[in-house]
Amino acid sequence: MSSCPNIRNTCIQSDLPAHLFLSQVRHESTGLPIIHHSGYVCELPTNHRFPMAKFPRVLHFLLQDQVITDRQVWVPEIASKDLLSGVHTEEYLSNFINGKIDEREQRRTGFPWSEGIVRRCRYETGGTVLAAEVALQRGLACSTAGGTHHAFPGYGSGFCLLNDLAVAAKYTLSNSSTRRKVLIVDLDVHQGDGTAFIFKEEPSVFTFSVHCGKNFPLRKQQSDLDISVEDGLEDKEYLSTVEQHLPWLLESFRPDLVLYDAGVDPHWEDELGRLRLTDEGLYQRDLYVMKTVVSKGVPVATVIGGGYSRDIDKLALRHSIVHRAATQVWRECGM
Amino acid sequence: MEDTEFDDILDDWFIESLKTYKDLHVYQLEHPTQVIEWTSGKTVCVAGYSLSKNEILELRLPLKLFADENKGLCAERDFKVAHGGFSDRPVRCLKHIPGTRCVVTNDGLSSNLQVWDLGGDDCDVIRRTGSVAGRRTVSERGSRVAARLSSPPQVLHGAQSSDVQLTELNSGRALYKLETDSADPLSSLHFVSDTVFLAGCCNGSVYIGDTRTSAAPQLSPPPASSGDSDLWWTDTSAGQHPSNCRVVRLSSSGRAVVSDLRSLGGAVCQAQLDVQARCCNLDDVSVSWAPTISDCISVSGFSGVVQIYNTCGWSTELQERQPLFQHRGHVVSSQQTDDSIPVFTTAHSWHPELPRTLLSAASDGSVHVWDWVDPEQSAADSPTSRTE
Repeated sequence: MSSCPNIRNTCIQSDLPAHLFLSQVRHESTGLPIIHHSGYVCELPTNHRFPMAKFPRVLHFLLQDQVITDRQVWVPEIASKDLLSGVHTEEYLSNFINGKIDEREQRRTGFPWSEGIVRRCRYETGGTVLAAEVALQRGLACSTAGGTHHAFPGYGSGFCLLNDLAVAAKYTLSNSSTRRKVLIVDLDVHQGDGTAFIFKEEPSVFTFSVHCGKNFPLRKQQSDLDISVEDGLEDKEYLSTVEQHLPWLLESFRPDLVLYDAGVDPHWEDELGRLRLTDEGLYQRDLYVMKTVVSKGVPVATVIGGGYSRDIDKLALRHSIVHRAATQVWRECGM
Repeated sequence: MEDTEFDDILDDWFIESLKTYKDLHVYQLEHPTQVIEWTSGKTVCVAGYSLSKNEILELRLPLKLFADENKGLCAERDFKVAHGGFSDRPVRCLKHIPGTRCVVTNDGLSSNLQVWDLGGDDCDVIRRTGSVAGRRTVSERGSRVAARLSSPPQVLHGAQSSDVQLTELNSGRALYKLETDSADPLSSLHFVSDTVFLAGCCNGSVYIGDTRTSAAPQLSPPPASSGDSDLWWTDTSAGQHPSNCRVVRLSSSGRAVVSDLRSLGGAVCQAQLDVQARCCNLDDVSVSWAPTISDCISVSGFSGVVQIYNTCGWSTELQERQPLFQHRGHVVSSQQTDDSIPVFTTAHSWHPELPRTLLSAASDGSVHVWDWVDPEQSAADSPTSRTE
């Protein structure tokens, strides 16, 4: 089990002490691990563009549609300052946690600062770290949040305040006696610029981003592999783009863990994305990524990534596609 | 400015715009337009104003704009050219004749109008079909034009107060002529009802005439304390009964005066607007009442922004007022070098029905359609819980 005191798995229904409980969980929770925390949400000003309410709705639909049961749900701890400092600067973390982010920086993030937003970002990051941990044990794990890839070490941007993928990757590297390698597959429609920047000089982390060139950010960073696609790309061509690169990346880089950002903003209905994927296209994409990685014996942890719509339920259902695909992979691969 | 710096500015603007706009779509014309004229709820006409050949285009707006509740369902987020044609003269004024597929244009150099057929489903070419002679054969100024729904189609036009005429489009017959003592250059013509119209003069005076009668028009002098060098633009609140029609007059020094149509001599209220004029190309200033939300006016042409002011709360004393909202998109998205002329807005127009949707155009050829968030309204909304 994890050696990091910050991360333990808990069943939301049981009050058993952790050490007694663990064996019970291992025995009963043989389903796909789903990482969720009610603290993934916080209050936002009315009509705020960020669809904050989507996180609990993702879990709601997975339970309602009986894709999962609540016994599969693992609850993360809040990410400690120590954990976050693996990626973020001391100054930023202090300012961020204590509410000293200036007006201009807040504007660039798209969020007004609040204690609530700090808390929810830390839970979200804790969730991605737990997903990575559990994936390493179980082979596959999916958070109901995560993918905040526009956060840089010293500042936030584009609705991202902490870079959860980077923190999880960094944690994975440092929490092992052997040298580990992490591949970050970022299929959100926006380039994972923060993550690219953070791991630019880190040979143990490979950043791979497929994104729409014309979408935010216009100022691009350099991932280890960037595939910039044209507006209007549809299911078939998009999938074949991923198929062109993922297998040889796995073959040549040989990661010990894949972190997969399954952003749904390449969907044609997304308000900000400029691509034209369908629900089926997203499902086939997610299935392809996870099957390809798992069948090579590499664990994969997924995050939901970006998606923008004023219809929260529709959006949440779209985000739940990766969990449904993961359930399929879990079944097919006899996990 | 380096490309990456500029990209950064655009990125900052993008994130900010998510909060300040409900919708925002941009389009780039090859050549700038000085006219934006709605030809239906979803289409507008634009046209170039260079001295040689110019395109006239009917653009269909991104369908996503009109999707209302289900914005996500509509992926179409680009402008499309629906119809196009060529003019060998600049287009300084373009007006749609309601109830028809016809527009009239004026080149700003003479008083004659050109008549165009926008084409239908089967034809994507905008063709010139005729012309309407101005009342005076020689005119140095371009004509202003107004049109309202009528059968057969008619157009009111003139370059100065002594030249205003109502012409039947098909026959070319003059149905009415405004008789005035002086020849004041016009900055606008508006119908306030089927037959009552307002002719706004550049010097700030206003004529109110009625096309049914040959009686002398009412003349209102410029607003009090108008300077000799002040130029004025006018708009009337459209679609209302003349008895509650209001008139706004805006001067080149940024003074806005609101009056009742029936008592133009007095002012209901006024304000000194913060127009930030850096350059003033006189042809490009435009002031407009919002057609569906009360008390709001919009101003463009003084600089690269479009400003929206709420006149509610203005007093009769001349006080400085700040805009309720500013559309800065044209400024932000134009990459300026030190020695280039700053971009300035050339035209803007409110959507006839969608309450906060406007179109704006600028000197760099950009055309934006935007649905702005009322900052006062969103501040008044109390935060509600977004948790389950």
